[in-house]
Amino acid sequence: MGSTKRKSLEDPIEESGPLLKQQKENGFTGVDEPVACLHDVSYPEGFVHRSSDTFLAQEDSKPAKEFPFTLDPFQSEAIKCLNIGESVMVSAHTSAGKTVVALYAIAMSLKNKQRVIYTSPIKALSNQKYREFKEEFSDVGLMTGDVTIEPNASCLVMTTEIWRSMQYNGSEVVKEVAWVIFDEVHYMRDRERGVVWEESIVLAPKNSRFVFLSATVPNAKEFADWVAKVHQQPCHIVYTDYRPTPLQHYIFPSGGDGLYLVVDEKGKFREDSFQKGLNALVPSSEGARKNEAGKWQKGVVAGRAGEESDIFKMVKMIIQRQYDPVIVFSFSKRECEFLAMQMAKLDLNGDDEKVNIETIFWSAMDMLSDDDKKLPQVSNMLPILKRGIGVHHSGLLPILKEVIEILFQEGLIKCLFATETFSIGLNMPAKTVVFSNVRKFDGDKFRWITSGEYIQMSGRAGRRGIDERGVCILMVDEKLEPSTAKMMLKGSADCLNSAFHLSYNMLLNQILHEDSNPENLLRNSFYQFQADRAIPDLEKQAKELKEERDSMIIEEEDSLDNYYSLLQQYKSLKKDVRDIICSPRYCLPFLQPGRLVCIHCSGNEDSPAFSIDDLTTWGVIINFERVKGLSEDDANKKPEDADYTVDILTRCAVTRDEVSKKTMKIIPLKESGEPVVVSLPLSQIYSLSSVRLVIAKDLIPLQNRENTLKKVSEVLSRFSKEGMPLLDPEEDMKVQSSSYRKSVRRIEALENLFDKHEIAKSPLIEQKLKVLHQKKELTTRIKQLKRAVRNSSVLAFKDELKARKRVLRRLGYVTRDDVVDMKGKVACNISSADELTLTELMFNGVLKDLKVEEMISLLSCFVWQEKLKDAPKPRDELQLLFTQLQDTAQRVAKVQFECKVQIDVENFANSFRPDIMEAMYAWAKGSKFYQIMEISQVFEGSLIRAIRRLEEVLQQLILAAKSIGETELQNKFEDAVSKIKRDIVFAASLYL
Amino acid sequence: MREIESLPLNQTQKLRLEKALDQLDFLSAGANSNACVTVADTILVDHQDGLLKGHGTTDFDGELVATVCGVVERVNKLVYVRSLRARYKPEIGDIIVGRVIEVAPKRWRLEINFTQDAVLMLSSMTLHDGIQRRQTADDELNMRSIFVENDVICAEVRGFQHDGSLHLQARSQKYGKLEKGQLLTVPPYLVKRRKQHFHYLEKYNIDLIVGCNGFIWIGEHVETKDDMVEDQVTESEQQNASEDTHTPVEIRDKICRAANAVRVLCTLGFNITADVIMEIIELSNRIDIHDMLGAEFCVLVAESEVDRRRSSTKKK
Repeated sequence: MGSTKRKSLEDPIEESGPLLKQQKENGFTGVDEPVACLHDVSYPEGFVHRSSDTFLAQEDSKPAKEFPFTLDPFQSEAIKCLNIGESVMVSAHTSAGKTVVALYAIAMSLKNKQRVIYTSPIKALSNQKYREFKEEFSDVGLMTGDVTIEPNASCLVMTTEIWRSMQYNGSEVVKEVAWVIFDEVHYMRDRERGVVWEESIVLAPKNSRFVFLSATVPNAKEFADWVAKVHQQPCHIVYTDYRPTPLQHYIFPSGGDGLYLVVDEKGKFREDSFQKGLNALVPSSEGARKNEAGKWQKGVVAGRAGEESDIFKMVKMIIQRQYDPVIVFSFSKRECEFLAMQMAKLDLNGDDEKVNIETIFWSAMDMLSDDDKKLPQVSNMLPILKRGIGVHHSGLLPILKEVIEILFQEGLIKCLFATETFSIGLNMPAKTVVFSNVRKFDGDKFRWITSGEYIQMSGRAGRRGIDERGVCILMVDEKLEPSTAKMMLKGSADCLNSAFHLSYNMLLNQILHEDSNPENLLRNSFYQFQADRAIPDLEKQAKELKEERDSMIIEEEDSLDNYYSLLQQYKSLKKDVRDIICSPRYCLPFLQPGRLVCIHCSGNEDSPAFSIDDLTTWGVIINFERVKGLSEDDANKKPEDADYTVDILTRCAVTRDEVSKKTMKIIPLKESGEPVVVSLPLSQIYSLSSVRLVIAKDLIPLQNRENTLKKVSEVLSRFSKEGMPLLDPEEDMKVQSSSYRKSVRRIEALENLFDKHEIAKSPLIEQKLKVLHQKKELTTRIKQLKRAVRNSSVLAFKDELKARKRVLRRLGYVTRDDVVDMKGKVACNISSADELTLTELMFNGVLKDLKVEEMISLLSCFVWQEKLKDAPKPRDELQLLFTQLQDTAQRVAKVQFECKVQIDVENFANSFRPDIMEAMYAWAKGSKFYQIMEISQVFEGSLIRAIRRLEEVLQQLILAAKSIGETELQNKFEDAVSKIKRDIVFAASLYL
Repeated sequence: MREIESLPLNQTQKLRLEKALDQLDFLSAGANSNACVTVADTILVDHQDGLLKGHGTTDFDGELVATVCGVVERVNKLVYVRSLRARYKPEIGDIIVGRVIEVAPKRWRLEINFTQDAVLMLSSMTLHDGIQRRQTADDELNMRSIFVENDVICAEVRGFQHDGSLHLQARSQKYGKLEKGQLLTVPPYLVKRRKQHFHYLEKYNIDLIVGCNGFIWIGEHVETKDDMVEDQVTESEQQNASEDTHTPVEIRDKICRAANAVRVLCTLGFNITADVIMEIIELSNRIDIHDMLGAEFCVLVAESEVDRRRSSTKKK
């Protein structure tokens, strides 16, 4: 893959506002340095430059769109790429102004009478963008799961999921689209939905061009290489980590009362100030937090002592210093609300602003019915909004969320408590961003915020053209290492890694059409690309190792090799024998205090000795004891089976490292060291002698120990001629095992061989063996590398693909020669719920006999994933349905398991949640929203999302029923849609 | 039932054919255990709960009644009737061959042996210049330069629109106008849906498209070009190629043999697949093309079919 690299340092540009132009992390620290961006191009293999004269004409002509402000270098660089009609990936911070590139691409396509598609990951974002584009250009349409407006417009805004299904359905739009804009393409690493991006990019028409807008990702080049390869077209990368407003990072120690500047606007980490901040940390909250199970209650705990809570103090300080507006990020919806509650005493708005807020609020709420206006969430929200405080998280009613966004943009909300979702999408900056936590719960545990997350969220700080600099405040409630903090605050953005995975819907759609097949999709996936990319590296490593190995030349290698293997055998036999002797069964009676034992010196593990004799030393047994295991049945074990440690007095080299941990190394007696009692496992005993010493009773004084060791030395020297008398295994220890005798005989035989071996006399035998050993190790490493290469060069997911195809065949979705059958066609239509379970349910006639309300209630289990701890069980009829669903799910999971798809049958069945069945039943019966909110203990926003998704599933089911010709069922689904699609749940977005 | 009756068989041929057919019946016994129904027949369902009534069935006085003649098929609780010898019933993703019968505004109407004409929208066509763009009025005016009446076209079933009309699409350059070959029509039930419907018989240098609607195209092989970049380079070559409209006589011979093979299969009522067609062409090497439609060859094909099925069942 060829690439040309040039770093463009544009001329200093005049900017209207009093902006500081500088780059934070690229070493451009001088204030007057121009803003730089990195421009790079990926060419597909064997790409020939087209004669560019066709595009020259365009370059001369007027740009498709002119902006009222001077473009940043990265923007103009990207637009240049658009002008020559080539794809571009723009990677920059959230606030940097990527939208400009999108706007230009749209303007250009409209000018050329081409279609352009803009996709974004979130429906709400699509709505907002639709509005933005609609104001700019009139020929704009919107397609999300909820609404469709002007689907024939030249510029279509849609969610990525819709774009994917359009490509599968072969919509004519696909044939006409010249430019596809993927916003927030770094969403591709999302574990659940990321695969949609990969599918859409791979399936996209070959002759269209792309604009990828992404947050800063270090491997933008890799991504572009992939696009270039898959679509056989050059793809430009424009990368910048320029921020229009520089950031200052502070920490706020909990319980403390001030801010400490940690990273200044030049990107310098201030160690001293950081330490000062940590020292101001009041540790009491630490203990209190542990007592309280819920992490989010920390705020309350701190405020319990009658004084103001940290967050209150902080917000007050921010207001006093005029650092508002401020966004406070926290990582759970409940914590968000909790923190907002603590602001009760604050009033940040003047009277005229209050009036303003009230007007905006009620005019937005006007579209709701009177009953819905009385919802607690609605009525509770206004008072705090009026005080200039807002809350923004996914549990809010969508309409409230939008009102709050609008109020925030109007500057009427001074302090907004938000979850991470607020950090993506539309430009809604504040002057200050506060992180209420340094840790985030990621499903398994509380972990530090990654630098990528930090970058994304801190991107909201600093309003371009208004603030001189943005402020980030990290609330710290526990000690953290400066390196951790540095990593978090100054680390690089997260890599864009593929989160590709297979789904049945994807497979079926691929199999259905003649000119596509799943293997092709896999081969072109970013996942495969990243795997392939590792191969040259691995191969290179293997080659280097091989060269290294071949450069080692050993004389008489064959006979040495022979000797080496003999040695290995000898050692392993010796070990066998020792294992038998040292088994507690035989040696326990002989572990009396005072017995001299031969033990291994603790040498370096990685360079084993190559002589016949091991490096050993002597010591005196002091005591032995049984190792207490964790499990209870340990106590029931027979004494012979338990593990023992033996305390042995011997000479050790003791080294202390700075953590004041002692590390002890057993060394031969003659070397200098301290006499120390160490406890060793039985296996480290080499042999037991028949000699016992009388040892001093008190071994605590150093002198006594030294004396004892002296005695040992004496004994040793006395026996030095004939060797230490050892306990005879057979006579003294009564070892009677055939394997013991066999091993002993073989050792004897081997010893003979050693003596006869020609090479044994060679003086350099040890060094030679060492070299040989290294060589052998290299060989095994080469083998490992080669295996890794082989594994990554075969198609990723190959086995899983096979397994999943087997499942489809087994369940009758696909025939033996890969033709999609009736059931498969039904499952093809279902993409918003588990396609296999739902199809099975349908074909088993479960849905047929149900009342519409029951059916809706049952289907709600497919769209609700949150786990509620103490949700009440639904009533019996519904519970019965749910058991039916679980049975089906279990059956499906079992088939998958049998076909070697990796799946946990129980987990799969439990992934369907009955928690909102009652509420959905009531909703289908025509209850008001506030009534169903009383039934279920969930967030309003989550419930609304579930109902909307349920409607999506029903729409897909209508198509499915149609395809099998079951009109009754089809009518039933249509009926269900009309029953749930009403009131606040489907209230239109304010942005439309 | 089959068109065999019209074959001018002599006595021995008749016996041989009967024997072959008997053997075939025997070999496929068990597979055809499904009940055959005619219109208004009651389908036995044992009054199960939650029965799904699929295509070709209806509820009549509490009983499930067939609305078409055919074979009852069951998938779990879904019961439907697969009709035999009826018109083609399109399904999404099917590859079909059809004939243009009308050029209408922004669309072509095609005869595809369905109960209604299929529609191929101009916007569902990949344009020849390969550029991604919106269709203009010019394109609409130039529609006749793409297809005119009586052109034979290959396309894919896109699905039913909201108004109930059947829409087709041509996703890539391999779909589109078919030239230099023969179109055969056979009953659609002889074509089973498979993964591949486009076949390039390399040995004879001919293309075979087995349309799911029973329209079968056999023609001289054409290379499909998909890449726009290449197109520009090879533009001049293409012009040369279009002047060269001559089809070598050997290829014509092969096309005719393949076409006759299809005819024979159709007469005998055997499934039509590329493999079988290849076999028959091989079988016919010793005789003249026109003899392929004679009684003797028919019997021969039937006998070889018996051998084929016997060996394939043995393998299992």
